[in-house]
Amino acid sequence: MKHDFHYTMSRRGFLVVAAGAAVSASLRPTRASAVDERQIKVGPGQALFNGANGASTAVWTYNGTVPGPALRLRQGEPVRITVENGLDEDTTVHWHGIRLPNAMDGVPGLTQPPIKPGGSFTYEFTPPDAGTFWYHPHADSLVQLGRGLAGPLIVEEREPVVVDRDLLWLLQDWRLTADGQIAGGFGGMMDASMSGRVGNVVTINGEVPADLGVRAGERVRLRLANASLARMMALRFEAHRPVVVAVDGQPCDPHEPENGRIVLAPAMRVDIVLDMQGDPGSRHAVIDDFYDGLAYTLANVAYDKGPPLRAHPLDAPVGLPRNPLPAPDLARAVRQEIVLQGGMMGGGKLKGLGGMMGMGMPGMNGGAAWAINGMSMTGDGHAGMAPQFALERGATCHLTMRNETAWWHPMHVHGFSLSVLSRNGAPVPHRQWQDTVLLAPRDVIECAFVADNPGDWMLHCHVADHQMAGLMTVFRVK
Amino acid sequence: MKLTYALTAFGLAAATPLPALAATINAVMYKNPSCSCCETYAAYLEQNGFKVDIKPTNDLSQVSAGLGVPANLEGCHSVVVGGYVVDGFVPVDLIKKMLAEHPAITGIAMAGMPMGSPGMGGQKTESWKIYAFTKDGKAPTVYATE
Ligand SMILES: [Cu+2]
Ligand SMILES: [Cu+2]
Repeated sequence: MKHDFHYTMSRRGFLVVAAGAAVSASLRPTRASAVDERQIKVGPGQALFNGANGASTAVWTYNGTVPGPALRLRQGEPVRITVENGLDEDTTVHWHGIRLPNAMDGVPGLTQPPIKPGGSFTYEFTPPDAGTFWYHPHADSLVQLGRGLAGPLIVEEREPVVVDRDLLWLLQDWRLTADGQIAGGFGGMMDASMSGRVGNVVTINGEVPADLGVRAGERVRLRLANASLARMMALRFEAHRPVVVAVDGQPCDPHEPENGRIVLAPAMRVDIVLDMQGDPGSRHAVIDDFYDGLAYTLANVAYDKGPPLRAHPLDAPVGLPRNPLPAPDLARAVRQEIVLQGGMMGGGKLKGLGGMMGMGMPGMNGGAAWAINGMSMTGDGHAGMAPQFALERGATCHLTMRNETAWWHPMHVHGFSLSVLSRNGAPVPHRQWQDTVLLAPRDVIECAFVADNPGDWMLHCHVADHQMAGLMTVFRVK
Repeated sequence: MKLTYALTAFGLAAATPLPALAATINAVMYKNPSCSCCETYAAYLEQNGFKVDIKPTNDLSQVSAGLGVPANLEGCHSVVVGGYVVDGFVPVDLIKKMLAEHPAITGIAMAGMPMGSPGMGGQKTESWKIYAFTKDGKAPTVYATE
């Protein structure tokens, strides 16, 4: 089977999925039932990162492909997704960014028993928010994500947005050996205590990128999702002016990104609108220059030679309808603070790690390299994780996140979207809501959310190595 | 979004001034692109007569392993100088001693990132062990104690 998904919409709004017939069938809602029913089978497979003629890579898959099938759900309509575990180890699925009942959140031990090999679990929820989300395991996360388990989840707006094409780039970063296989050595000390397992091959929708073919004059909505274990990205579209219309699935005021760079940390999503105003036949690089001295061309925007689709860009506004997020009441907010500590160069400040920093070998032997408020919760989630703080139902939480480390951390909160208020004292513009907030070294972020959803929820760094090595905590909504 | 590194503090202050007539020693530093303490160490080397060519790599653990640095001694950068490998915040005097004496080793490394070492800043609170390692699989030996 060719693992080739084109997550494109035709002009008339049909989902065009070029994939194996069996896979497509399982993606289609079953007509007989009132509830939208889906099936996902987790199991080993082969991926062709370099196309049909390249070498195949042994991976773990959802329904046989990497990434997994694009799940397209409808805002406000219930769905029932049965996940069958064909791996030799426990798994779960976390529906990243979806606000759903706690029992459906997919954290082993904390919100559900893990799905045993050969077992299955049915997730049921009704997505309240339209936007770009994704799904991935929350058991043995570092290895399972690193071996391929991730897929896009798109919740469609009730009224379609006016664009010519709706595209998705699910970005993944792989550490491959010389013979094209996924390298072992997950969770090594260097990765755990520094920037995580950054790889050496980046794919878009499961393939080493070729050109993005476009037509002059067209308007494209491009959904960017970084499903990497650790690689941060900062994308620049040469000769183009992308407009950010949503971050982490949540619409924001449309704006051009700072310095034209779209920063995407692991687990973040950014929806952009691109008016293709280049000349027919021209080519323009998409460059990722996040890491100093390591910029590379991710892909090229290639215009076909045909005449422009229209003389002027579309007049239609690019903004998306807002999602029904509860408005924080800052005047009566409860304040909580999360302090991120540890990592290489932790400077011995870290009480929670005891003598570990003095030894200078954080992360060795699966130990903790990081902590939140002095406490290292390691692994993926397990029973008996004591909440760091508890909130009354309906209360507004004004959350400060303080990064005392020398490293970048995309902090992901389960079950909620955070209204991002300020970064290092400066207000964050564009009315942004995020479920994964990137903190640069020493950054202080203030955000707020309404604790309207009861349960024990995770808050962790989405650099998988960091989470596994202690950058994780839990809070309770009563 | 680029980091601005504060290269003040320890590295520069503790460095001995460069003797006017000393020849420049060329060195290549492989480092994690996001790690700022390596930059401080590079500045310390430059203050002490080295010319450091910084090569960021996201694959540092593979690079360091390829250079022969034992896994338990790997730091956040590896420096190649005069045919030797220097890993971690090794004081410059020891590097110069090694380059002058030409021992039959692959390189030297300081395990961990102790306070007060060049690159970390702060006060020295413990004695440091600098190890010599070879590529023949034998256990590292203590090269110097500071
Ligand atoms: Cu996630
Ligand atoms: Cu992190």
